[in-house]
Amino acid sequence: MTALTERLARLKNGPTSENLGLLVMLAVLVVGFAILSPRFLTAANLGSMGFQMPLLGLLTLAMLAPILSGGLNLAIVYTANVCGLTLAWTLMQFGGAEAGMAAFALGTVLALIVGALSGAVMGAVVAYVGAHPILVSLAMMIFLRGLGEFLTRGGDISGFPDYMRVLGHGSVVGIPVPLILFAVVALAWHVLLRRTPHGFSVYMTGSNQRAAQYAGLDAKRTLVLIYALSGVLCAIAGILMAARFNSVRVGHGEALLLITVLACFLGGIDPFGGHGRVVPVIIALVILQVLSSGLNLIGANQHLATAVWGLFLIAVMVLRSGRLEQMLSLIMRKDK
Amino acid sequence: MNKVTGLVSALALTFGFSSASAAETTMGIVVKIGGIPWFNAMEDGITRRAAELGVRAEMIGPVSADPALQVQAIEDLIARGVDVIGVVPNDEAALEPVLAKAREAGIIVISHEGPGLQNVDWNFELASAEGFGEAHARLLSEQTEEGGTYAVYVGSLTVPLHNAWADAAIAWMEENRPDLVPVGDRYGVAENVDNSRSTALDLIGANPDLRGFLAFGSQGPIGAGRAVEERRRTGEIHVMGPFSPGQGRSMIHSGVLTGGYMWNPAQAGEVFVTLGQMLAEGQSIEAGMDIPGLGVVDPDFDGKDIITDNLLEINAETVDSLAEMGL
Repeated sequence: MTALTERLARLKNGPTSENLGLLVMLAVLVVGFAILSPRFLTAANLGSMGFQMPLLGLLTLAMLAPILSGGLNLAIVYTANVCGLTLAWTLMQFGGAEAGMAAFALGTVLALIVGALSGAVMGAVVAYVGAHPILVSLAMMIFLRGLGEFLTRGGDISGFPDYMRVLGHGSVVGIPVPLILFAVVALAWHVLLRRTPHGFSVYMTGSNQRAAQYAGLDAKRTLVLIYALSGVLCAIAGILMAARFNSVRVGHGEALLLITVLACFLGGIDPFGGHGRVVPVIIALVILQVLSSGLNLIGANQHLATAVWGLFLIAVMVLRSGRLEQMLSLIMRKDK
Repeated sequence: MNKVTGLVSALALTFGFSSASAAETTMGIVVKIGGIPWFNAMEDGITRRAAELGVRAEMIGPVSADPALQVQAIEDLIARGVDVIGVVPNDEAALEPVLAKAREAGIIVISHEGPGLQNVDWNFELASAEGFGEAHARLLSEQTEEGGTYAVYVGSLTVPLHNAWADAAIAWMEENRPDLVPVGDRYGVAENVDNSRSTALDLIGANPDLRGFLAFGSQGPIGAGRAVEERRRTGEIHVMGPFSPGQGRSMIHSGVLTGGYMWNPAQAGEVFVTLGQMLAEGQSIEAGMDIPGLGVVDPDFDGKDIITDNLLEINAETVDSLAEMGL
């Protein structure tokens, strides 16, 4: 019983120790890179990181919610691609590079609808058929990929209006526009998960779907909704990707899929669902970005850099986890 | 805290601590993917030429062939303030915005295998599509005295470069060897050994007058060669095309594969550095210039393309040394 109240308390107040470990790691990295390269703390480099992180960040948030509900969404990258294609196709209907703002708005709405729909379908299959989310989202991933490749014949659609460049590469008072977009979405996501009844249902469903159902929550509706919202986030990521690359092709960003899972787990999300917060995941994202940009900046040997990357991930997890202490105390107890 | 210091020192091992003076030209070359033989050879070329010219150049190979990773690597290079950015694009269109950004920052941009790129100072090729296709067609024509049919493979029907090679080769054959005609349309199987082999077995069975395979795509010659070997038609049916020398070495020696052409990635790496240094010093590229690694050039000023034919023949004499380079 104490364990349960403890857990509830953790859920309510948030484990500050978890954030602390991540922040310490981040500080060590920033100080380390700043010493090694005078260019690390320049506006140019910070700006470059600010432009790079949002894409991975949006996809990670899209991955986060399904994991919290006890599932997984492997289709995020291809959902983003297909939503990007929807936008690109709409723009092409209105003259490609000459398309007006209205066309962009329409394309955005259509892309969001496509994202929500593909998410909702996944959610519905997970909730009502009871298939495992990994299988469902894998199937969806293959379907979306095949659909995209069929529609584009593997080629790309490029040449968008100039104002889209602002979304991908512009700055407002020195802050990259993609970063502002990400901050707004992350805040909304945080509020949604922590402050709304729907967010509460997600956590409860993730902890124990059957118990949530018996407690009077509509766990199935929750699942459909959370996958649909995850699809909407993918759509936003897809639109950002189109703006940043000025082109859309099925397969852009493929390499980011596993990194989003990694960022979630680094941020202390319980792989089995029910526990985890947005803030540590964002800190984890910043750590990954600092590590990636920092290693590039100091010109680290490419072959060793991958190994160092892996080492750091292990170190972050060791430093972060309050579970280390929990496990230690468990072992102690057994000894007694 | 010990863990942290340990990690920092592990990290320190990977730094290229070198004495960078302010005047030294710095270059970063972003390739399609790191850790494969082709780009390892390119890295050797880059390092060698950078040492000769006394500049700082390094190659960045993303962990997977995803244009998103190339965009990130280029953004990091811009932040670092390098003088020259080189790129071998995975997807030309996706790189345009970030390359435009680089040029706005005053960085010189050079590309290789990216003839369609707009936001570059120069793009260079060691093989033109026509020259490459025609060289293979000529090889087929030399091997085959009597008339008959030949089959054409491409990696996939959507690979623009392979199809351009195939177009050039077929056009050359029509003009010079009207007695040799292509059998059917081209086959998009050459990225896969098994598909190449089974398609070749079918074609050999169906066409008694089949004289050769022109296989564009790295696995096509290998697969077709295996089929010819299985049917014991070595010497009657000739197989040619670009392939990895290490993979096709024994088949060349046994005569199943006639050979083919490729270009040297190490040479491309050297050209990146040579061209980068020339442009960084403010030299402009003129028609008729003799650029080391490219030879006498005839640049296309509108398309910003420098296209040369520096083909490397793969045959019984050259295959071993090429394979030893790790290619």
